[in-house]
Amino acid sequence: MATQYFKTVEHTSTNEKKSFKLKKPNYQLKFTLDGHTRAISAVKFNPKGNWLASSSDDKEIKIWEVYSGTYMKTLTDHNLGISDIAWSSDSELLVSASDDKTLKIWNVGAGKCTTTLTGHTDFVFCCNFSPQSDIIYSGSFDENVRIWNVKTGGCLRCLSTHSAPVTAVHTNQNGSLLVSGSYDGLCRIWDTVSCQYIKTFMSDNCPPVSFVKFSPNGENILTATMDNTLNLWDLKKEKCLKKYIGHKNEKYCIFADFSDTDPKLIVSGSEDNLVYVWNLETEEIVQKLQGHTDIAISTACNPKLKIIASAALEKDKTIKLWEK
Amino acid sequence: MSHRGGERDFQTSARRMGTSLLFQLSVHERELDLVFLDHSYAKPWSAHPDASSARPTRMLFVTPRRHQDSTIEADIPIDVETVTSTPVPLYDNQKARSVMNECERHVIFARTDADAPPPPEDWEEHVNRTGWTIAQNKLFNKILKALQSDRLARLANEGACNEPVLRRIAVDKCARRVRQALASVSWDIKLVQWLHTTLVETLSLPMLAAYLDALQTLKGKIPTLIDRMLMSSTTKTGAAGAEALSLLLKRPWDPAVGVLSHNKPSKLPGSPLILIASSGPSSSMFPTSRRHRFWQSQLSCLGKVIPIATHLLNNGSGVGVLQCLEHMIGAVRGKVLEIHNHFPHKPIILIGWNTGALVACHVSVMEYVTAVVCLGFPLLTVDGPRGDVDDPLLDMKTPVLFVIGQNSLQCHTEAMEDFREKIRADNSMVVVGGADDNLRISKAKKKSEGLTQSMVDRCVQDEIADFLTGVLTRAEGHSGSEPRDQDAEKKKKPRDSARRDLAFELPERGSRPTSPAAKLPASPSGSEDLSSVSSSPTSSPKTKMATVTSVQKSSQIGTAQLLKRHVQRTEAVLTHKQAQAQFAAFLKQNMLVRKTLPPGTSSCLFVPISSDQTEEADKEDLRGQLKRQHPPSPPPGSKSSKRAKIKVTIVSHGDGASGPSLPSQGGTTEGGKPITVTRGQAAVGAKELTGLLTTAKSSVASETVSVSPASSSIIPNSTAPSAFHTLQSRLVASGGHCVAASPGSTLPGSTSASSLLQGLSFSLQDISSKTPTLPASASPGPATQASSVKLPTPMQGLGAITTGTGTIVRTIPVATTLSSLGATPGGKPTAIHQLLTNGGLAKLASSLPGLAQISNQAAGLKAPTTITVTLRGQPSRVTTLSPMGTGAASLEESTSQALPSTPQRLPPAP
Repeated sequence: MATQYFKTVEHTSTNEKKSFKLKKPNYQLKFTLDGHTRAISAVKFNPKGNWLASSSDDKEIKIWEVYSGTYMKTLTDHNLGISDIAWSSDSELLVSASDDKTLKIWNVGAGKCTTTLTGHTDFVFCCNFSPQSDIIYSGSFDENVRIWNVKTGGCLRCLSTHSAPVTAVHTNQNGSLLVSGSYDGLCRIWDTVSCQYIKTFMSDNCPPVSFVKFSPNGENILTATMDNTLNLWDLKKEKCLKKYIGHKNEKYCIFADFSDTDPKLIVSGSEDNLVYVWNLETEEIVQKLQGHTDIAISTACNPKLKIIASAALEKDKTIKLWEK
Repeated sequence: MSHRGGERDFQTSARRMGTSLLFQLSVHERELDLVFLDHSYAKPWSAHPDASSARPTRMLFVTPRRHQDSTIEADIPIDVETVTSTPVPLYDNQKARSVMNECERHVIFARTDADAPPPPEDWEEHVNRTGWTIAQNKLFNKILKALQSDRLARLANEGACNEPVLRRIAVDKCARRVRQALASVSWDIKLVQWLHTTLVETLSLPMLAAYLDALQTLKGKIPTLIDRMLMSSTTKTGAAGAEALSLLLKRPWDPAVGVLSHNKPSKLPGSPLILIASSGPSSSMFPTSRRHRFWQSQLSCLGKVIPIATHLLNNGSGVGVLQCLEHMIGAVRGKVLEIHNHFPHKPIILIGWNTGALVACHVSVMEYVTAVVCLGFPLLTVDGPRGDVDDPLLDMKTPVLFVIGQNSLQCHTEAMEDFREKIRADNSMVVVGGADDNLRISKAKKKSEGLTQSMVDRCVQDEIADFLTGVLTRAEGHSGSEPRDQDAEKKKKPRDSARRDLAFELPERGSRPTSPAAKLPASPSGSEDLSSVSSSPTSSPKTKMATVTSVQKSSQIGTAQLLKRHVQRTEAVLTHKQAQAQFAAFLKQNMLVRKTLPPGTSSCLFVPISSDQTEEADKEDLRGQLKRQHPPSPPPGSKSSKRAKIKVTIVSHGDGASGPSLPSQGGTTEGGKPITVTRGQAAVGAKELTGLLTTAKSSVASETVSVSPASSSIIPNSTAPSAFHTLQSRLVASGGHCVAASPGSTLPGSTSASSLLQGLSFSLQDISSKTPTLPASASPGPATQASSVKLPTPMQGLGAITTGTGTIVRTIPVATTLSSLGATPGGKPTAIHQLLTNGGLAKLASSLPGLAQISNQAAGLKAPTTITVTLRGQPSRVTTLSPMGTGAASLEESTSQALPSTPQRLPPAP
């Protein structure tokens, strides 16, 4: 542990030979965004990094301006609470997964729902765009992953190999692979073209997978399991590279994210109302962001700025933006 | 020499590669080259320490194995950001994308009413299915599913750096599924046409484009079926739309099209003739694969290509695998000889696929060719890899290039390297990464490396051209004026000496004819040869097999000799049947075959060949022959017609014995198109022959007659060829001018006469070359003659001969297989049989899937399997190849070897 620590220092900051202390990210609270009337389920930055979208149990999606922290608009059409949202790569479309068993594609500029995707037979829990944004992947409590054609709104394919609710779907940077995580403890890697699954990852004792995500280059995947652990896997070698512990995660599907700041960070919420920040390389907790009064369920890192967004559940109902 | 030569070759090839496509395409090759360009003194990493003749292996698209280094990687910081750079597509991406989207651009052509608004995106919900039958619904759903997964693949692939290749793969898959769906309704014309119209009317434009892409792909594979399917819509759309559609569907697009058409390969130096040995007998039922046809056209960029097709005699009934092999080898040999005669100075290159490659190698042992290229090489046999000490292939002296697939079932790289070390000939090898026996790369390989088959094929072609250029320039370079003759001399020497022995005996045998001219056979075969050769005086592909048959035919000469010969011949055929029966019995005993046994099968295993049945038949034969005996030297005028009759008798005897099925290879075959007839000498229908001979007589009689008397002389059969050889050698020596030099020039009708002589020369050469090769393993000349002349049964004869080699153990099985050939005139051991004895041909035969299948059909069996029985427990080592196949066969050794090739044999899906 210690040796690794020092070696990493050499790698990251060779010119600062004196300071053996890793430079700590010092995130400070910048804005608190208030507006949702019920628990917030997800926050996502758009690829340009100027907007933040948040979904909530109050059936609404709200769009916020990042730099000023101002509220922009609300998208409403869903009949029940929303579990997840995702931006298209051109930042024009949003997809939302709702408990009303549908997904909706929104034109953010017009503020309207353009297409409703129907087919799931239970709560839709997670959703994501393909990098080209012509396909939507969604996971549901009906244990299926569905693949949707954005243009037509038709369901292209239904993958049903999970035996428990699907908690996360995500594609790699070129859209060739899809990863899906489920309460059954498995992370499956799919070929998006043939829809054959290629690999399966699972931790010891098979704890339910609450979140899964490809690394920005698609060579690693980050999984969150409900045994208070985040794992970083090497996709090719199929082995676990890093383990991030210290936070609490046993009940909720808490989002996690990569931060491409220097040094690389892993950010995740926790059930002890804190937001944890780890050093990706050393597995060390470098900061805990304090402020929320309920479980910080969702965190997101801004792709352009050094900003972390976090959102909390029922008792809090706020979004907090943290800046370094 | 080889070192310097190798180096020079490498440098020239490196220079060539700088501009060639190869350089752009194979990255690994390039890495290797950099080392070489900087450090020219370095040996290639794959240089052979022992074998100087084996050049370093070249790897095409072989992904190097990455060794795992677990110790170091712990220190490397995890990089979750940097995207590993994807390789730049090897083709013109822009152009590829444009051809890729051709169908999408022109999708409007397909629509029957272009004015109507296109169906909405959610067309699926609007499809009116009322009135559809179950079959229609089912078919429509299947097609829809295929198109939908294609749609998904397109979407998922969008934006990928090698999207054209990925798209191509997806389209191929979609086409396959569409084809399966259509095949599931047996291409029912009504249903299929309905489907097409419905799809065109209802599909949304993107889906219709996908459908057109699939049609385009299928059109290239099964044009007639697709045309039939489109027929109805063409009547609706009118001529213009139909034409546009047919233009669109004309040819499937290829991502690499731009690159390949820009870098055309150049012709080889010395304008060589490229002979393609077929890898199996062709027939109308199983036409040559598209892949082979494609390669044929590819190779024609390098030089003139002459395919040698071997047609199956008698529709495959009663033809053994070995017999057919003999034909194939004979065909190639004959062609080589023919070309030598026609174009004495043109280099000849033999190319073959799989079994054809092996045939080419074997022919190169027997005849002089400039180079051999083996595309896919069946190295592994039932008896283990080739290259045993007694393998005739090791004697090859012709430069040879092996192109093998990395994932080939019939050989693997390490075994090939071992084999290469043993060959004395200058040899090179190219390993195509991820390719199979037919050098087709797998889908995964295409996907991961962004390749297409056309690119791989092109690189292989470049490699072949590279190799051949080296060989040809060297051949031209080092021996000034007549490079060919030197080697040819070398080749011929052993044969000549053997012949001299025979020739020496000629006078002793007291053969009547005094002039060589008189020895020209007036046998039916002679006339046949004339007609066949004269029908294609130049080296057109159709000349093929003429000579093969003539070998045996011309050996049936003297009338007095006929008697003996017939006995032997019948014997051979009978034993052929018997061998089959034995084999069937063997299978029966092993509970392998239940239904397929021919009636009246004897249950004995490997009984002596001269059983009662045989003897009776012999007696009958004798009687029959005696009745039909003709005076030894009938007057020339009546000769040919009568001879024809005799000939017919011979053949009909053979037929009667060989099986119940009388051949029906098109009785219409006549003198004008005699090739097909002459090919099947062993089992040609009696009718046919009569027809042929009468027609032949009318045209050739006069010529034949003048030469004929010799053949009636009572020459012991093995002396006869030697006598002919004196003529033959002269023919060969004088090359194209043989007509003038040989006695045959006295014949009227110079064009046909020269052809006749050539035909004869082939047959003669074949005989004479086969006979003298025996002494290599047995006591020379005389012994052979003695045995084959005096001993009535070939088995004994062979037994006597092969005893000389000291391998008594092998004599019995050899005799069995030999006699089962049925094609051996008089049981004379030929070079091929010698190969067989050594296991060479048996191995060759075991890798002849195409033939096995056909002969299986003939046997009325469904499951196509070659069964090769190797009994090691027996005192004798028996290697029998039988056309009687069965899927249930689970012979310990055979199945494991035979099965892998089974899929290839399955006929293409309808």
